[in-house]
Amino acid sequence: MSQQPDILIGSIQVIGNLVLFLALAPFFDGVVRRVMARVQSRQGPPLAQSYYDVLKLLGKENIDSSGILPFRLAPLIAFASILCVIAILPVAGHATALTPYADAISLIYLLTLGGVAVLLGAFASKNIYALIGASREMTTMIMVEPILFMVLLLGVLKTGSLDLTAVIYGTPLAQFGWPGAVMIVVSLFGLQAFVARQPFDMAEAEQELLGGPFIEYSGPNYALFKYYMMLKQMFYAYLPIAMFVPLVSSGFFLLDLLVQILLTGLVFLLIGLLSATHPRYRIDQAIKYFAALFVIALAAISAAVIF
Amino acid sequence: MRKELEAKLIARLRDDVVCVEKTDERTIYIDVKRAGFREATQIITAAGARYLCSIGYDNINRDGTLAMVHTFALDDSDQFVCCRASAPVDDPVLESITPDLPSAGWSEREVTDLLGLRFAGHPKPKKLVLADDWPEGIYPLRKDVPHDFVPQGAEDVAYQLDEAPPGTKIVPVGPFHPSLHEPEHFAVYVDGETIKGCDYRGFMTHRGIEKLCQTQVSYNEVPFIAERICGICGSVHATAFSQAVESAAGLVIPRRAEFIRTMMLEIERIHSNLLWLGVAGHLIGFDTVFMQAWRVREQIMWLCERLTGNRKTYGMILVGGVRRDITPDIAQDILDVVKKIEDELMVIYRAIEKDTSIHKRTKGVGTITKQQAIDWNLIGPVARARGVDIDARRDHPYAAYDEMKFEVPVLDGCDVWSTLVVRVVETFEAIKIIRQCLDKMPGGEIFVEMKDKIPAQRHAITVVEAPRGESVHYVITGEDNRPERWRVRAPTFTNLQAVPLMLLDEQFGDFPIIMGSIDPCFSCTDRVAVVDLQTGKSSSITKAELDAMSRKHLGSMQK
Repeated sequence: MSQQPDILIGSIQVIGNLVLFLALAPFFDGVVRRVMARVQSRQGPPLAQSYYDVLKLLGKENIDSSGILPFRLAPLIAFASILCVIAILPVAGHATALTPYADAISLIYLLTLGGVAVLLGAFASKNIYALIGASREMTTMIMVEPILFMVLLLGVLKTGSLDLTAVIYGTPLAQFGWPGAVMIVVSLFGLQAFVARQPFDMAEAEQELLGGPFIEYSGPNYALFKYYMMLKQMFYAYLPIAMFVPLVSSGFFLLDLLVQILLTGLVFLLIGLLSATHPRYRIDQAIKYFAALFVIALAAISAAVIF
Repeated sequence: MRKELEAKLIARLRDDVVCVEKTDERTIYIDVKRAGFREATQIITAAGARYLCSIGYDNINRDGTLAMVHTFALDDSDQFVCCRASAPVDDPVLESITPDLPSAGWSEREVTDLLGLRFAGHPKPKKLVLADDWPEGIYPLRKDVPHDFVPQGAEDVAYQLDEAPPGTKIVPVGPFHPSLHEPEHFAVYVDGETIKGCDYRGFMTHRGIEKLCQTQVSYNEVPFIAERICGICGSVHATAFSQAVESAAGLVIPRRAEFIRTMMLEIERIHSNLLWLGVAGHLIGFDTVFMQAWRVREQIMWLCERLTGNRKTYGMILVGGVRRDITPDIAQDILDVVKKIEDELMVIYRAIEKDTSIHKRTKGVGTITKQQAIDWNLIGPVARARGVDIDARRDHPYAAYDEMKFEVPVLDGCDVWSTLVVRVVETFEAIKIIRQCLDKMPGGEIFVEMKDKIPAQRHAITVVEAPRGESVHYVITGEDNRPERWRVRAPTFTNLQAVPLMLLDEQFGDFPIIMGSIDPCFSCTDRVAVVDLQTGKSSSITKAELDAMSRKHLGSMQK
């Protein structure tokens, strides 16, 4: 178990984490949009465009098309689950007040809960496009969650504990060896699937499904979903950095944090480039791709156990 | 050919053949009685003719009949065969040819809707063109119905979709859907992710351009309306109509005008193929291809603006010639732009050619065998990608194509990828043709006046190879300086009928690209005007500002 952090500092950390992610996630989304535009010889939207989008949606009307409770709850559950993930995340190596109450398993639980909330909303909306999108989303989740789990499992194996701080920040220091190197590649290859961008945005596929699970959502509910997607994207971009890039450990927390955030920005550049240079895969092609990643990840885990 | 056909027909049908005549170098007209109509078409197809389309027209005021023409093309000998028959208006039934020629289905359904001529033995005699609440017994293309007639809508009617196969869900695609650029409705029957069938209900944008041109305007105005049938292949329709009228009137236009027409058609082909390449990229979710292809296409638009004053609807073609001449300066301009486009398209093509992820989404998708393509009379790049070697520019030369040297790319991949390659290669061929045009352009006039009245009751048919396939125009000249019947058969009209076949057993995720691979132009099919609304006031934003807002490398784009 990691050190029980000081309650006051730990609470400030929770607030700080939330503020940091909530403030930066739309900005990074804007970065991705701008990178894609540059690849496409376009000017692109302003970097703050994603903030404007969310603000505009918040001012729109909430249309409740199906009139049942799960439909209204789904965005809240999704948003709350990702906020919980951020609240327990030890950013830049410092545990928050909530980290000791969670571990690697609960992190995955919370991430899956967000996905389940999206499915819940899609099934509740009773729209055929949402249903197709939800079935694709489900397939993607079933295939991708184990890969994420195995990335964390490598850390668990290497550090010998389930504690989040140890798992996430202990891994680089624990000499992860070549299985770890394989895992880095796997997590980068899975990155587009984690953040649901091309080539793995089958669930939202706007050309055939018009936004899939979110088709019936509008106004503040949709804004919550959008924000949820952006936060999830930032979390998944931050995870490989935290897991595989050693901390600067300069002794100044803010400097460590700044370096990590800058590196996260680099991951976003990668996301933008990848999504601008790939068409969307069909779901059957995506499954094959995930299956290959899964096997490689499994092999890396086995190797990590043996060696 | 005429004599052989006549001998065959008389041997089989005896008294049912009324006459077989040849009106010009290309066209053979066969008049048969009602009883021998289907058999006559069977004989014509057995002689190797390819079915084009069918035209119904109203002869009630003359002899109380409704008439029908089936048109065929003999691609080897550059001839058209038109088979005519009529039925009295009190018993308007003809034998259907759809069981033999599946692609005649829509033509016949359209005639049933618009003229009230029914076809015995049609496999799917549903409404096609008219709205569901259109009252029974009013046939808009008949002469007694005014062009601005608005009937009372009926109550509680809805289109009955086909029976869905068991175990499937219906996914409604359209009337408004991001992968369709114009309103029409597909009911796609999916089992999980696999498409098990689909039904089409289109013609939502039918505005009755044909009726308008038969009642309100004169010959000289029709080309401009024809140009507005479609937002993309405008010159094609204008050229086709003008050629039909010229051939009916026996008008010979100056050679230079023919060259300029050829050049405009090829410029349009470059534009259209680039547009389609972009759309195809967009439909498989690859927006970078979309943006880059459209960036390249933009130069053609600017060139056309310098050439004709319009970015797209050129307004160049008239009955009797063209409106604007090509000066030496603008000729140089064209060469420069075309060179630049060639280089940039080559870059895009090289990138696409080796991109395995694009291959994943396009190879083996929308497969249809060569035999099916021939049975359904597919045309244009869709057919050429399936090994069917047809091209109206080569088989039925018009304008100045008889002097041009160009390749017709034919692939046998039978899938969307081959279609894509065919269209890109055709763009390079179009560039070659433009260079030859400017090279060989003779001097002289570009327009010839029509001195005499065009005689009435002459039939003429022309085909023009649009970027998507051949457009067929059939004109019957009339009194009052306007056509009595003008029928436009756009390429999509034929290709769309085979789409359910392409979709069968494919993944739903491939629906947009299969649909897009035929480059559907529903406006052509429905024959309406596509109107792009002007955004805002022209004074509120200048072109330079707009460019600065949207473009990164402004300097490199403009001349």
